[in-house]
Amino acid sequence: MIFRLCALVASLAAMAPIPALAQAERTAAETQIKAAFLYKFSAFVEWPPKAFARPDSPFTIGVIGADELAADLEQIVKGRTVLERAVVVRRMRRGEPLAGIQMLFIGQAEAARLAEILAIAKGQSVLTVTESEDALSRGSMINFVFVDDKVRFDVALPEAERGLLKISARLLAVARKVVTSS
Amino acid sequence: MRLATSFSVRQKLLAVVLLTTLTALLVAIAVMVGFDLRNYRQSLISDMTTQADLLGRTTAPALTFDDPRVAQENLELLRYRPQIRAAAIYNARGKMFASYSNKDGGEFPRLPEADGTRIEGNELVLFKRVLGNREILGTVYLRADYELYDRLVGYLGIAAVVAAIAMLVAYVLSRRLQQIVTSPLLAIADVAREVTEKRAFSLRAPKLSKDEIGMLAESFNTMLAEIERATRDLQASNEVLGREIAEHNRAEQEILRLNTELEQRVKERTAQLEFTNGELEAFCYSVSHDLRAPLRAIDGFSQALLEDFPKDVPEEAQRYLARIRSSTQRMGQLIEDLLNLSRVSRGGLERRDADISELARQVVTELQNREPQRKVDISIWDGMRANADSRLLRAALENLIGNAWKFSSKTDKPRIEIGSLSNDGRAVFYVRDNGAGFDMAYANKLFGAFQRLHSGNEYQGTGIGLATVQRIVHRHGGRIWADAKPGKGAAFYFTLESDGVEKAGRDMAEAQA
Repeated sequence: MIFRLCALVASLAAMAPIPALAQAERTAAETQIKAAFLYKFSAFVEWPPKAFARPDSPFTIGVIGADELAADLEQIVKGRTVLERAVVVRRMRRGEPLAGIQMLFIGQAEAARLAEILAIAKGQSVLTVTESEDALSRGSMINFVFVDDKVRFDVALPEAERGLLKISARLLAVARKVVTSS
Repeated sequence: MRLATSFSVRQKLLAVVLLTTLTALLVAIAVMVGFDLRNYRQSLISDMTTQADLLGRTTAPALTFDDPRVAQENLELLRYRPQIRAAAIYNARGKMFASYSNKDGGEFPRLPEADGTRIEGNELVLFKRVLGNREILGTVYLRADYELYDRLVGYLGIAAVVAAIAMLVAYVLSRRLQQIVTSPLLAIADVAREVTEKRAFSLRAPKLSKDEIGMLAESFNTMLAEIERATRDLQASNEVLGREIAEHNRAEQEILRLNTELEQRVKERTAQLEFTNGELEAFCYSVSHDLRAPLRAIDGFSQALLEDFPKDVPEEAQRYLARIRSSTQRMGQLIEDLLNLSRVSRGGLERRDADISELARQVVTELQNREPQRKVDISIWDGMRANADSRLLRAALENLIGNAWKFSSKTDKPRIEIGSLSNDGRAVFYVRDNGAGFDMAYANKLFGAFQRLHSGNEYQGTGIGLATVQRIVHRHGGRIWADAKPGKGAAFYFTLESDGVEKAGRDMAEAQA
């Protein structure tokens, strides 16, 4: 498993500085990196105990409007655990309740309805991650950006605090921008 | 070790203290430095490991989210740790992700190595994996100053300074403190030296401590007291001895003085006696000499009467005349003997080599000529010689042999022997006969003048002969003595030398007895 992981991370790192590739290829690589980052965020965020229904509840990542990413993520989390729990990727639809979800990724495809979806998540212990411009101002906690051919992210702490989530300072250290007050 | 014997106790003590201090100091410093260096190495390694861990943890997100900028920022913080010369982060693929180096710069390994630390010269090199969520995220590389040698040099410098100060302090301290030990010892040594130089046994070593040195001082004092007492005794006995010697000397001088006085007196008396004796002898000589002339006249005229008037003188008168003549002749003989005795005493003593055997033969021949009818067995030893006055010796022999001839006249087979004995190499001459002999009870009267042991009727004689012999022997420094038994003959012994003769004579006399 370690070997596989290494290979994966290595491939990711190799692709980090993305050269002038075809848009499709670029998008695919970007999606893969985002999937990996999603999984890795779990290590830097602390959820309140009530976020899990049962002690043995799996760590569930909900994905809306990003099927490719969901697929990549399923590949990545296979056999892995987060907080000693099994990891489950759930492809979700608009309006679906967020019960049992610890992390929610809202893809570019649902950018138009972003506010609507985020409103549901508001106040819940769900780490919301987006990839749309100005998403933070609309209530997202972490928003991917593309800077200098690299995938980076911004963090909005007030939203996270509202959901009783503690985001590690170490994660903030690598964030492009951290919003501390609204 | 031979060097060690030539230093004083003070120096030796000082050397011991300094040496001990130095040794203790060096051992302590060596142990401390060793411990410290070991500590330094361990703490440096642990510090760097911690640093690497910290760096790993800090850069883990950067690695996770592929953000070299952040990693670079993290590394830049190391400038607050100047001892770290260089650091680098490698990603999981082994590619350099971020690097840092201080002003010294330096190269970085192209590829990371497995976890571990190692010393490369004066640098510590460390590789540390960065783990995150059970995955290897990358590797931290650190290169730090390893100042073991600098520290060692620094420590040696400190050690030298500390040793110098400690030795100085130890020197000053021990110079003071050692007096506690050495001063009682030196006090004893001083006293001992003074005692030896001045022979002042009344001195005493001060007892400054109650330890072994104090005991030494006590023993030394006891010994001194003993010596002092012995010396005093010796001096006292010397004084007594000196007094005794002085007394002895005084007594000796007194004796010497008395002796001198005595000698002087003896000399005076002897001179007086000699003078008197000389006068007496002179008188005796002149009387004897002067008496001869009238005697000769009496004898001559008596003879003339008898011869010239044979018919005119009656027979009775002739008989009377004959008796007158015989008496005058006897008186003449007496005078002759007296003169002889006198002559022996007077006149010089001419010692010459004398043939006693020859002299004795001449005397015997004379006697035989005088009385040819007598048959006497005479034996004379040959070769008897002596250093003596032969004229006086002959007179002595005439008397002695004459006596033997005379007193053996009534013996059946008369025999006379003239010989010599040797005692301690000195000659003792003797004349022996088997004649009348005499009672030894009268031996002391033998050599006096006019002493006769036999009556004139039995044997003719004037009683002067032996006195003459004795005088002759005495003048030669010799001695004469006799041995006899009535009817069994007599023997006369004499020597002509003074030394040891007395003893020889006495021995002979005892042997004869």
